[in-house]
Amino acid sequence: MQENLGDWIVGILVSVLGLAGLFLWAGAQDVEMTIFGLALAGFAVVFVIGLIKRHYDEKDTVHATAKARVNPHG
Amino acid sequence: MFIKHATIERNAILLLVLALGAISVGGLVEIIPLFTIETTVEHVKGMRPYTPLEQEGRDIYIREGCYLCHSQMIRALKDEVERYGHYSLAAESMYDHPFQWGSRRIGPDLARVGGKYSSDWHYAHLKNPQALVPESLMPHYAFLADSALSYDNITDKLHTLRAVGVPYTDEQITNARLDLETQANALADPAALLARYPKAVSVPGNAKTVTELDALVAYLQVLGTEVDFAGTNEESLQQ
Amino acid sequence: MASTAAAADSGLPPVVYNDDVVRKFTIAAIFWAIVAFLVGVVLASELAWPQVNLGLSFINFGRLRPVHTSGAIFAFGGSALFATAFYIVQRTCHVRLFGGRALADFIFWGYQFFIVMAALSYVLGFSQGQEYAEPEWHLDLFLTVIWVCFAIVFIGTVMMRTEPHIYVANWFYMAFILTVAVLHIGNNIALPVNIYTAKSYNIFSGTQNALVQWWYGHNAVGFFLTAGFLGMMYYFIPKAAGRPVYSYRLSIVHFWSLIFMYIWAGPHHLHWTALPDWAQTLGMAFSIMLWMPSWGGMINGLMTLSGAWDKLRTDPGLRFSVTAVGFYGMSTFEGPVMSIRSVNALSHYTDWGIGHVHSGSLGWVAFISFGAIYYLVPSLWNRSGLYSKKLAAWHYWIATFGIVLYISSMWVAGIMEGLMWRAYDSQGFLQYSFLESVVAVHPFYVIRLLGGLCFLSGALIMVYNLIMTVRSQRTNPGIEPFSGAMPVAAE
Repeated sequence: MQENLGDWIVGILVSVLGLAGLFLWAGAQDVEMTIFGLALAGFAVVFVIGLIKRHYDEKDTVHATAKARVNPHG
Repeated sequence: MFIKHATIERNAILLLVLALGAISVGGLVEIIPLFTIETTVEHVKGMRPYTPLEQEGRDIYIREGCYLCHSQMIRALKDEVERYGHYSLAAESMYDHPFQWGSRRIGPDLARVGGKYSSDWHYAHLKNPQALVPESLMPHYAFLADSALSYDNITDKLHTLRAVGVPYTDEQITNARLDLETQANALADPAALLARYPKAVSVPGNAKTVTELDALVAYLQVLGTEVDFAGTNEESLQQ
Repeated sequence: MASTAAAADSGLPPVVYNDDVVRKFTIAAIFWAIVAFLVGVVLASELAWPQVNLGLSFINFGRLRPVHTSGAIFAFGGSALFATAFYIVQRTCHVRLFGGRALADFIFWGYQFFIVMAALSYVLGFSQGQEYAEPEWHLDLFLTVIWVCFAIVFIGTVMMRTEPHIYVANWFYMAFILTVAVLHIGNNIALPVNIYTAKSYNIFSGTQNALVQWWYGHNAVGFFLTAGFLGMMYYFIPKAAGRPVYSYRLSIVHFWSLIFMYIWAGPHHLHWTALPDWAQTLGMAFSIMLWMPSWGGMINGLMTLSGAWDKLRTDPGLRFSVTAVGFYGMSTFEGPVMSIRSVNALSHYTDWGIGHVHSGSLGWVAFISFGAIYYLVPSLWNRSGLYSKKLAAWHYWIATFGIVLYISSMWVAGIMEGLMWRAYDSQGFLQYSFLESVVAVHPFYVIRLLGGLCFLSGALIMVYNLIMTVRSQRTNPGIEPFSGAMPVAAE
């Protein structure tokens, strides 16, 4: 439960940063801001996907273990 | 001791607050008086903000990391004064955001390089330092001659500098682009530029575009030339 | 993946530590060490033979040097600090890292993102133009977010601890986190030209800017490269030696005097300049006084080994840590000497400064980190020990030889430059042109390059040794290779 809350808070923080990156990318007037904005947005997307993936991977593992416990032979 | 250390090391917040106190004293005692003591920056005649072209050149100087090999601070030592000229004054960098005093001389000090060499010499030297000084360790900056200076935001830059304390006038900001183009064109009439920025040196750029090299040379040529030392004496420079 | 603390002898319930983030930061530290050393070697070659830059603007000395300094300090040193801070705080507080896995992962990936973006911005030509504070405003803001998260996780963990006392290593880590935050913000108050450009202008100028910069710059050394790494010393040396810290009282005196005095020392970077004399004198006085707490810490570290000196023969990691403390003692003696105004008149602007910095960064920072890494990798990957102690010994001797080459060549070069610049001939004229000093130091630049190559080679041996360690047979899971409670100083 606590891990879940942490995931949400960090996920939202990173999404906000990613959004800021998109704005910077859109308005960028020099090459550095273009790269930084784009990279920040990309970083946020990959990081949040990673959080979501881990969440479901763990759910799957729990399911698999539970199933294995119910039916150890099949 | 008035407070047992065991109390501190059992309480994270107390430890942090006391540590914050310990690290604040030194910084506050040293930094605040620099803003309040009136003689920290000497009162001298001649200091003016950089021209738009010089400021652009300064930004390129920072971009290329020139400060990592060249200092801009002649220390008050006999041999340095003989080698480079009058020791540097605090007033001479009062419009420098950021300061570029440097910490290492892989190449010589540049605090008073302005006017020491001709602009043509600087163009040739920056493009290929070893052609003029065979033993030099300096990288080649020929690519600056091929890059057009991008100065679309020069007005924004002067506005920002004014916001941090450089006394640009409205007139100087309004004419920023014009002044920049004038200084980079040896054939243009510099009268208005010189009225706004005394002693500005026009650089012999090409007639078509303003290059990054033009800006850098204009900056190098103003270094250390602004203060009117005739009107100063040791006492007036006392900090 | 998490390891369980040896709970048997402490009587407390087992805690599942977050070692995943420690492992990631350890790998990052090793990776960035190689990058930083490699860039250093390239820069040393450019100074010996300028044509090495191949005429490419983005690897010119001026753009590449910040990649080397930031790479060594913030990427390598910073990753090592994060790894050890998270490792130590969990074990000495006997609690899992505060804030959950997502926050720890964000700190790791966010910090790596910052490093890569900063390096990229330097070679593209975006720099604030202040040494060790080169990243522009947008990167500074991003780093501030990471740092606040770091502070929350570390201090949160300390506050959740189940041990009544905060261990001395954590005092140093806390002071480091707090002070670096203050310094980073104070020195980077800049106004961007507009929000969509990376270019900004610092709000301070000239003399005031110079003092703020060196208040920051010297305390980047004092708190990033010293206080944090002293935290490592106070944990790994007692742990590897199996002895408690020599003196608890000395730890207290060391901690408070060091953090109080360091902050004053900045102006010694500005002797004889346009900074007012009173500030220079103040900086010099505190720099000299700083010698005492520094050596107090050194003695506390070295004396911890009394009765366990024989372990230097058998434990290569400990050998690195102890040699590091020796180099720390040497640099913190050399520093006060160089801060004396008359010595500084000779040493400033010369290669002596470069030599001094490297005796600290290679001898102290890198060696104490190598010591910690040689301890951490078997512990974190649950291996019984290193793949090869012999290779670690090779690393040790090659790296030490490299440091000796580096610092002695820079001493000679620096003092020679200083003397040549001030030499007068019999007629009363300056004897040498500046260029003659450039030519004279060339052989020493080549020796310096050799020293750097040795140091890099040693680190590559370490990488091989550690990879083989991780690939070696796993020890019986559940048994920590280095079990046993933390030795705590007698009160």
